[in-house]
Amino acid sequence: MRPIPEDTLRFVRLCVPLTGFAPFDLHATGMAQLYLDTARQQVGRYRLDTFLTELTEACTPLLDPSELSETDREIARAITYLWYTGAWPKLAVDAHADLRREMANTEFVVAPSTYVEGLVWRTFQSHPVGAKPPGFGTWGREPAELPPLTEIVQECGLAEQTGGSRPEEESTRGERSVPGGTRIEPHMLPGPRVARDVPPSALPTARAPRSERNTA
Amino acid sequence: MIETTTGAEAARGSYDAVVVGAGWAGSLIAEKLGRRGWRVLVLEAGEAGTQTWSGYLDSVRTFHSAVAKVPNSAYRHNAAAPSPDVLDLSPDASGSGEGRPEYTADGYFVQKGKMPYGTDYVRALGGAGMHWLGAVPRMHPDDFTTRSTYGYGRDWPIDAADLEPYYEEAEKELGVAGDAEGQRHLGVVSDSGYLYPMHRIPPSHIDKYCHEKLEGREVTDPMGDKRELHVRSLPQARNSTPAPEYDKRKGYRPKGAVGLPNYGERCVGNASCVPICPVQAKSTPLRVQDGFSDSVTLAARSVATRVLRGQDRRVRAVEYRSYNDPASPTSESHTVRADIVVLAAHAIENARLLLASELATTSGQVGRNLMDHPTTLAWALAADQVGPYRGPGHTSGVEDFRFGGKRRERAPFRIELSNWGWTWSTGAPMSNVASALALGGKSDGGVKTGGVFGPQLRSLLGSTIGRQLQLQIAVEQSADENNRVTIDPRRYRDAMGNPRPIIHYDLGEHVREGVYAAYEVSERIFTELGATSYTDHEPVDGVPPLGHFVHRGTDLTYHGAGHGAGTHIMGTDPNDSVVDADQRTHDHPNLYAVGCGSMPSVGTSNPTLTMCALALRSAERIHRDLAALSQPTNLRSRANAEEKV
Ligand SMILES: Cc1cc2nc3c(=O)[nH]c(=O)nc-3n(C[C@H](O)[C@H](O)[C@H](O)COP(=O)(O)OP(=O)(O)OC[C@H]3O[C@@H](n4cnc5c(N)ncnc54)[C@H](O)[C@@H]3O)c2cc1C
Ligand code: SF4
Repeated sequence: MRPIPEDTLRFVRLCVPLTGFAPFDLHATGMAQLYLDTARQQVGRYRLDTFLTELTEACTPLLDPSELSETDREIARAITYLWYTGAWPKLAVDAHADLRREMANTEFVVAPSTYVEGLVWRTFQSHPVGAKPPGFGTWGREPAELPPLTEIVQECGLAEQTGGSRPEEESTRGERSVPGGTRIEPHMLPGPRVARDVPPSALPTARAPRSERNTA
Repeated sequence: MIETTTGAEAARGSYDAVVVGAGWAGSLIAEKLGRRGWRVLVLEAGEAGTQTWSGYLDSVRTFHSAVAKVPNSAYRHNAAAPSPDVLDLSPDASGSGEGRPEYTADGYFVQKGKMPYGTDYVRALGGAGMHWLGAVPRMHPDDFTTRSTYGYGRDWPIDAADLEPYYEEAEKELGVAGDAEGQRHLGVVSDSGYLYPMHRIPPSHIDKYCHEKLEGREVTDPMGDKRELHVRSLPQARNSTPAPEYDKRKGYRPKGAVGLPNYGERCVGNASCVPICPVQAKSTPLRVQDGFSDSVTLAARSVATRVLRGQDRRVRAVEYRSYNDPASPTSESHTVRADIVVLAAHAIENARLLLASELATTSGQVGRNLMDHPTTLAWALAADQVGPYRGPGHTSGVEDFRFGGKRRERAPFRIELSNWGWTWSTGAPMSNVASALALGGKSDGGVKTGGVFGPQLRSLLGSTIGRQLQLQIAVEQSADENNRVTIDPRRYRDAMGNPRPIIHYDLGEHVREGVYAAYEVSERIFTELGATSYTDHEPVDGVPPLGHFVHRGTDLTYHGAGHGAGTHIMGTDPNDSVVDADQRTHDHPNLYAVGCGSMPSVGTSNPTLTMCALALRSAERIHRDLAALSQPTNLRSRANAEEKV
């Protein structure tokens, strides 16, 4: 087997604070090289290098997105989306214009295998729809427990250093907060799919539940 | 092995019957007639290929690489035999508030109705039976008599008891896994000893979660209809564990994958039954075609264009065009004669063919009474992890609002408990990633602030995707003459030159009341489940979502269910119906139109099982017709022979 090129190793290391998955997991998808190539193609080789340098600065060790320029922030999101779904997303129009690329600003799945290797399925301990089936009757089992945030942070090796936005400890369980304390705001959730031809990256976000909208 | 031939080759043969369309309906009829030794030609407009394992895997990969994983996403576009696609419809803000349609359509259908017809199908070998889900509940006895029992819609000329033996036969042909006891409780299975060929598909964790919180609770709809809720297992055409006691202890042997010998499994939980099951645990018409006898010829890439009239009231031949390249409009015309012609091309295509052939005109009902199950979605976050995106699309439902009660005032509805999270309603889980990251920009094009990354992102997604609940509520739509398919060959043709279907569609008051009641009931169910509802049908930035309407001051939306029905409606009177109880056209003794198009009502059951039962019933009649036609004594007076059978 050929050794993994140094630029790919660096790309994967920098993707850890973006994705919340350890280098081991990212390499295990087998997609690292393809994703680096895709990002270079979409953003431009030189521009991506600049972005990766900026990203290094903004991670201490967790990423604070407000430390990034607007376009860099959108690139960070796009690369994370790529790891999670296997697709390159539609970007904010201003970011796409700023990048001055000849590529159309539309979402596309990089390859059939990238869809299958999307990390999103692993966040809730499942398998990609239409691949890696878990076996007859498995859907009846109790879903596996999710790892607490502190464990994920540790697994990623993002815990030791100080500074940055450090996750809070385990807080209340309930439908409006996640372990770790992030309060779930409606805009963090997807809204109605107004039409079937709108790609997932261009869909509206959710509004407050009806119960809260009425009282507001 | 399924063998296909070309249209040109097929034109050289001679046949007793020509069947147009190789979906469930056409395949079942061809198989039955072939087994009796009749020479049958099946004309299939679309591409074959999925009957080989490599062709099938190609479709699986096409699905994997599609951005929008819609029902047609596993099948390539075909200009020679185009299909309608849910991607053809877009919302249109300019129409709102002015009484103009709030949508535009840009595809195979020419849509001119007030509301969008959101149902698709696929013209390829196997038809819509390739991308269907495989939910196969029977209709309830009441569903056959809505006019006389509840004062709306149309009655059938036959009843549930007439269909019962054919339901059983269809369940064997399709390979159904189900819980007969539960269906007896509902009143849709009456035979006290009946068993389904396979044990029910095991319930999902979501089913159990809902069962625990809903069973026996009472919910009242806005019309004051109070129901006790029950979570019931859904009969499905997918491989499960065979029931050894089935069919007087003969048991049942599940059918495996087509194109790969000795491969075939129970459902392994790929959770992509729509549009394609990677292991073929879900039943498709390929299984029936695999059993065609040598007397059946299957020609792909052969688009029927007209049925030709013969002497007296009979039809004599089918005209069709064959092509070599699905991307090019070049095609060649052929004509093939037959004693009996069976149209099995899907409700909308059957109507299109009858209209283009100017046949069955007496009643003026061809193309009218187009139906579907307008389906409204409701989605919520549960308080606990429920394990979505696992297993078949849905394995249980709440059936309590399907029958009786206030059915006269509002259309009844069937509530499916989705196992696939918020996919249909919001494009989740991919859209979850985008919204958590604050991707995609603001409406003015600017880059958003915020966004969650790294461990926080992973944990946020795990929590918010893992708790997704969705209800899919299918509402009965009854026959309405104004919902119709027409053609206008001078203005609207496809690339091959065939007239495109023009659709006029709307939802009547009774259905709108049903959708409204379904929405209110879904909110009450979420309250019982202790879940937070995120159901949202309101316009977004002034743009109404597809299928949007306002009823009793409430914003609502519906989607198409894929259940096109009612375009060559069945009845006893030739003046107000197109086919008789055997699906034979009243006007032409040797022309049949089979499929959901014959159904006078659709109840709240997915229609395919009922449609297959009807097809099996018609196959017997067609066999008798063919037998009578081949009797030497009857040759002199065929018309008389018809009357005697
Ligand atoms: C997404 C989706 C999910 C569904 N899920 C379910 C479900 O769970 N349960 C259920 O009961 N129903 C379901 N349905 C409905 C079900 O798929 C249809 O009712 C059923 O497949 C119709 O069978 P058919 O043989 O009448 O028509 P089709 O399956 O449409 O077959 C017609 C065939 O005729 C061919 N054809 C068309 N025009 C011509 C022509 N001019 N010449 C030659 N051939 C022609 C087509 O290519 C096709 O092969 C679903 C539908 C969709 C879209
Ligand atoms: S759940 Fe999977 S294996 Fe089962 S029928 Fe659906 S796609 Fe096939």
